[in-house]
Amino acid sequence: MDRRLAQFFFALSLISLALILAAVWQAGNPSWKQYQRNYLRLEAQAEPNAAAKNAVLTTALDIRQDLLPGLQRVDRCTTCHLGVEDPTMKNAAQPYTYHPNLAPHVPARFGCTVCHGGQGLATDKENAHGNVPFWQEPLLPRGYIRASCGRCHKEGDVPGVPELTEGRRLFDTRGCRGCHKLNGAGGSIGPDLTAEGASRRSPAWLERHFLDPNAVSPNSAMPNLHFTKEQARALTFYMLSLTSEQMATYYSSVRLIPSPAYGRQLFVEKNCIACHSIGGVGAKNGPDLLAVNHKHSGEWLDEQLLNPQAVYPGSSMPGYDLEPNARKALIAFLGAATAEDAQQVLAKRGKPLAPEEAALEAGKQSFARFGCVGCHGLNLQGGVPNPNSQGGEVPSLLHASDDYTKEEVIKIISNGKQPPVADVRKPTPPLYMPAWKKILSEEDINRIADYLWSLQPKKEAW
Amino acid sequence: MVTTGVALMFYYRPHPPAAYQDMKDLQFVVFLGSFLRNMHRWAAHGTVICVFLHMCRVFYTGSYKRPRQFNWVIGVVLLLLTLGLSFTGYLLPWDQLAFWAITVGANIGSYAPLIGGRVRELLLGGHTVGESALLRFYVLHVAVLPTIVALLTMVHFWRIRKDGGLSRPVWQLKKGDAAKLVRIGESQEAAAAIAAPASLDKTYGLMEVVTGKPIFETVTEEEEEDTVFSYPYAFFREGIALVVTVITVMAVSLFWNAPLEEMANPAKTPNPAKAPWYFLGLQELVSHSALLGGVVAPALIVLALIAVPYLDPNPSRRPSDRRWAIWVFTVFVIANVVLILIGTFFRGPGWALVSPWAHIAGVE
Repeated sequence: MDRRLAQFFFALSLISLALILAAVWQAGNPSWKQYQRNYLRLEAQAEPNAAAKNAVLTTALDIRQDLLPGLQRVDRCTTCHLGVEDPTMKNAAQPYTYHPNLAPHVPARFGCTVCHGGQGLATDKENAHGNVPFWQEPLLPRGYIRASCGRCHKEGDVPGVPELTEGRRLFDTRGCRGCHKLNGAGGSIGPDLTAEGASRRSPAWLERHFLDPNAVSPNSAMPNLHFTKEQARALTFYMLSLTSEQMATYYSSVRLIPSPAYGRQLFVEKNCIACHSIGGVGAKNGPDLLAVNHKHSGEWLDEQLLNPQAVYPGSSMPGYDLEPNARKALIAFLGAATAEDAQQVLAKRGKPLAPEEAALEAGKQSFARFGCVGCHGLNLQGGVPNPNSQGGEVPSLLHASDDYTKEEVIKIISNGKQPPVADVRKPTPPLYMPAWKKILSEEDINRIADYLWSLQPKKEAW
Repeated sequence: MVTTGVALMFYYRPHPPAAYQDMKDLQFVVFLGSFLRNMHRWAAHGTVICVFLHMCRVFYTGSYKRPRQFNWVIGVVLLLLTLGLSFTGYLLPWDQLAFWAITVGANIGSYAPLIGGRVRELLLGGHTVGESALLRFYVLHVAVLPTIVALLTMVHFWRIRKDGGLSRPVWQLKKGDAAKLVRIGESQEAAAAIAAPASLDKTYGLMEVVTGKPIFETVTEEEEEDTVFSYPYAFFREGIALVVTVITVMAVSLFWNAPLEEMANPAKTPNPAKAPWYFLGLQELVSHSALLGGVVAPALIVLALIAVPYLDPNPSRRPSDRRWAIWVFTVFVIANVVLILIGTFFRGPGWALVSPWAHIAGVE
């Protein structure tokens, strides 16, 4: 028997043993253990005597996690961020700092990542903060964390986050949907924005993109829409809030926060002042609503809004198909509404529209909401650059009736149209008219055409 | 593979999205989890490479020739099963890499006329890679394929003994022994003259009665001075091979993590979507012609590999006698490697040719 062979075999066995030990050492010393030891030392300082200090210091180290099946998340952030719910850690350095103003969004119910971003499953700093390859939601910078409110609170007004409301308004009125799909509706020239908040775009990138699309993505087909800095920031907030996550009812039921501000908006929209008065200001067909919450309970008011006939048979008040949180918002507004509010509501109220005017107004709304304004402009002026199309920009629609009949225009909206190319050797123009027949109803398309025709110059009679 | 695989099975749930979360748990909270996963992953790649190298060795030494033709066929089947094991395992992490590699791989399979679509549907349990595909791949990966591979490996090893022991390169035989090789077709007298006298102090058992003449070109009669006991000689040598393999895999696993991308997202196709690396040669061919590259070429290659020992009329194992066979096989090996390299490093978005530095630079 060859002795050297056996020795060689023995040496190799030692190497493999060493490697196993190295692996065990690597697995047994994760960074979170060091963070926990340091935290225990910090806690021990506050203890009065040696025995208590010792008890704290010998606490077992373990991974902590918030299981959040409703959000399809598991957040292990509190493994290192141990002082999040401990007010005595108010002045401690990170990662142990106390998180003020948590309620009602307690970690046990919400975890951390749904607002802050980051990789909840990870247990080391680099991976957990999510600035690693293949993680789509890195930690949000401090100024943008509030954008995450919009992940659950998708409608109405979010108190403390005016940027979200403004961002949504801009998206609906500046024609974004003309090129971008959101939740299934919109054009296909630009990327789908349904999950834009989970696509690893940094807020800084988004903001620069809104200010000047070509600065961050050269040759982008997106026109410069000349947003102000505030508008770019508002749109960035809105984009960051779009994640298309599936959430359990507990979270999705607060799509709408029942805030008095939203209640006021509903009060205007539903035209309550047409029948009611507040503190004597308004119409006298229905009862005065000043301090109505002192006269009736919340449940009574809720029922009254939903089904007036059940409360007062023969009541002339119509039932309103409002969701529970909308009714709550309205009641919250009425609880604090004064005669002054009624005055303001009355002052802003325009004359009622005639049916034809209402139809045109609806067409105008659709023209804005479905994104036509993005390229054609709110006043049909066109002018958005479209390289290599004839004329080099999106045509104005102000004289559409010179070249087309209304039926032809309806056909173009329905089926889309490629712009005439200026030079066939150059790349095709980036912008084109998408086909809208699958996205818009026939009624919508007709209304838009009516609206366009209403703005055409009247042809002089021969 | 079995040891690490069984350990990983304890932590794995074969349905989305739990499968992906389990990968993250292995990475972040399971003691030794990422080490085990790394070992399993890297060893899997190593197995594919080693099986391919083994095939090359067997071909170049001419060891597939009589009497080992059938063992070569078993070997080819084992090669395909190894690819199958690797391919089914590829899907299990349920990340983007897994999802799209399997989608591309399954699409290549579906180019086969008539049955292609059916086979893909059977394999995936649907038209696209989804929940049922994950379950099917899991069952294939942990139960069906390992069982077949284990059984065939046993046959493979048993045939080695039955076919006359290890096939040593003929040019390494002792001079005197090589001279005594029986050439098939030579006269009976010549064969009889060198027929081995049975060793007197060995006991032989009759295992099987085979009809026909035992004409083994490459096997010299074993003389006692040429043989050794399997313990400790073979035992320690094989032990060393085992330990070196384990050391290599462990060392690699300590420093390099197995890839894990974001969770599988059927709505987001990476550009380019690539099959597992060992199928990239195939994908490269498919990019030129779906039918020729995806069906005809691989089918011919597999058939040719299986048929090699029966097609090769040349009984000699000396390299000098089989230049032609060696040339053909070398071209096949080089073509394979080159195609895989092209597919891996030179193909960018839209399957366009790019320089390999583009990958390293990480172009978005």
